[in-house]
Amino acid sequence: MLLECMMNGHAILYTGVTLAFWSTILIVGTCYTIFDLGFRFDVAWFLTETSPFMWANLGIGLAISLSVVGAAWGIYITGSSIIGGGVKAPRIKTKNLVSIIFCEAVAIYGIIMAIVISNMAESFSGTTPETIGARNYQAGYSMFGAGLTVGFSNLFCGICVGIVGSGAALADAQNGSLFVKILIVEIFGSAIGLFGVIVAILQTSKVKMGD
Amino acid sequence: MATKETPQLRSISACLAVFLGLLNIFNTGNCDEQVPLIMWTSEGVSVPSQSPPTAGHIVGQQQLASYLEKALSVGPRNVVLFLQDKMSIEDFTMYGGAFGNKQDSVFPNLEGALRSSSSPLVLPAVSWPASNAVIGQLQDQLDTSPLYMDPETLSQLRLNASSPALLVFRLPYGFGADLMSAKDILSGNDEMIGQVLSTMKTQSVPYTAIYTALQPSREAASLSMEAGVGGGRSLLQARGGWRERERERERQRKIKEKEGIYGPVEFKEGDDTCIMLWATGLSVSILRSGRWEEHDLTPSTFGEGVSPKLGGSTCDKSKARLVLNYEKVLGHSSFKLIFAMSQRHYKVSARRWFTLDAVELEYDGTKATFNGSRHVYAPAEYSYRCGSVTNFRWPVLIPRTSKDPANQWRVSFADFQIQGFNVTGSDFSYASDCAGFFSPGIWMGLITSLLMLLVLTYGLHMIMQLHTMDRFDDPKGPAISVPLTE
Repeated sequence: MLLECMMNGHAILYTGVTLAFWSTILIVGTCYTIFDLGFRFDVAWFLTETSPFMWANLGIGLAISLSVVGAAWGIYITGSSIIGGGVKAPRIKTKNLVSIIFCEAVAIYGIIMAIVISNMAESFSGTTPETIGARNYQAGYSMFGAGLTVGFSNLFCGICVGIVGSGAALADAQNGSLFVKILIVEIFGSAIGLFGVIVAILQTSKVKMGD
Repeated sequence: MATKETPQLRSISACLAVFLGLLNIFNTGNCDEQVPLIMWTSEGVSVPSQSPPTAGHIVGQQQLASYLEKALSVGPRNVVLFLQDKMSIEDFTMYGGAFGNKQDSVFPNLEGALRSSSSPLVLPAVSWPASNAVIGQLQDQLDTSPLYMDPETLSQLRLNASSPALLVFRLPYGFGADLMSAKDILSGNDEMIGQVLSTMKTQSVPYTAIYTALQPSREAASLSMEAGVGGGRSLLQARGGWRERERERERQRKIKEKEGIYGPVEFKEGDDTCIMLWATGLSVSILRSGRWEEHDLTPSTFGEGVSPKLGGSTCDKSKARLVLNYEKVLGHSSFKLIFAMSQRHYKVSARRWFTLDAVELEYDGTKATFNGSRHVYAPAEYSYRCGSVTNFRWPVLIPRTSKDPANQWRVSFADFQIQGFNVTGSDFSYASDCAGFFSPGIWMGLITSLLMLLVLTYGLHMIMQLHTMDRFDDPKGPAISVPLTE
């Protein structure tokens, strides 16, 4: 029975990754403990020695990629419903494209934020934590935070709009007057993506990288 | 007498066999710049035997002097010294019948003498510069000048048991003009030893005999591969001639001196060591008229027999200050290098840490201060070790202020290790190294890779969720046909 369970590709993949992750943590933690080198586990060292550029670029990458994942997922959900429903009720085709546009907006938020954040990245000449300076560290972490904010907001916003849009298309196929009401739900769903963008802009408003 | 001799005999031959056998193993690893020394007293003299050094231990100059002193204070003070030009332990392993072929041994007289002596002492590895000084040390201890002899002149000499004498017999070794193989030369030397010993026996004067050499006869094979100075060895490189060996030996000696096999600088408070410092290089440079003038402080701080002046050093439970005093450094008559350390309990990590608060250079009333507490720290029970502690190359020491005289100085400590607290015995505690296991770059790579891995996992999960629609599949129905014509 276990073998049958393991034949599933999902199970192998997740078991493998989880096992690798937890065993790494366990072994590293055990080594730190038995060699009495716990003092070497220094989070402050990690945060000050890693380059602010890594954090900044991770933020930029996450901003656009997570937004695109959200938009893609939403469009895939909505799109399949519209196409399916359109077979029997061709009148819904044009009206329901607005759901696709709401999903696409999320991707546009993502790319705009990615461009805005990447414009803030400047080079600096310090190499040690003292010479790099607090402002550059703040810039790096802010850009990472902003990227995370806009990315995850857009991810869930896209999924939300997609599912609601799919419902709207199918309801519209049944009863044409339902569409306008469901559109209001979709608008609320779309607003949360905008919140993410606003917060991200606030986070990066004080960023000044460079010497 | 007989009952005493048998265990002695067994222990002597066992000792010889064991050290010859053991050194076979140590030969492959670590053979550099050592000369064996064999000492025994004449038959019939019973003196307490000294314990030989532990296997692999290299006897230094002071230890050799103490061995000789102990032997000569209780034993006969007539010393017969057989000084061969060159000798290495390999000569004994190759020609001493160490592989069960005792009949091929070229040292029958030597072995016989060791067997009949009551207190032989075998030092398989005396460090080379120390072994050179054997004549000088014997001269000092016997208070008499050496007499260079050969077997013929010995028979004409009248020896007295009460007055000390130092008779030196030079034995050849070299790849001489005779083109005699080493085996023949050693056999000839052994013959001469036998002659001398029998002459001494007829004189019936108790004596102490020593057999050693001025130089090692073999160069260090393994070091030349590790040293890499002037390149390593190529696979098919054939062993060069005698000159190449000499050159290589010089090179290895310089490398060994540079790497330093010496103890740390210890500041003692009473009997206990309080502060310890070790480095392979301590150098300071000052910027004068646009040029950096350097002074290497290593030879006046570290080395065998070097004891730097530590006046002004203090140490207590929470503060330790090591002051190294020098003279005539870069034109300053008095120069001090001061390491100021402190330790205290830190609440967040709940343990005691010590920091190197300052490295100060004091000269002519001026004090240049470097702050080291930012990087040089370790838990208070451990010592701190770093491959390079400088203020200019990956700086660890920073001038205290921008106007401090330290800005004109460059200090560089290579392979630096320091401990100012909790010193037990005269060894460093565990060395907390300045270089950790993961560097920042490794961490950054790991984080990014982990993120990519998560993305990959998620993507794979999504793709594996896609299924082909099979709602309208009808395996029993007719196959779908797509006609070519409309």
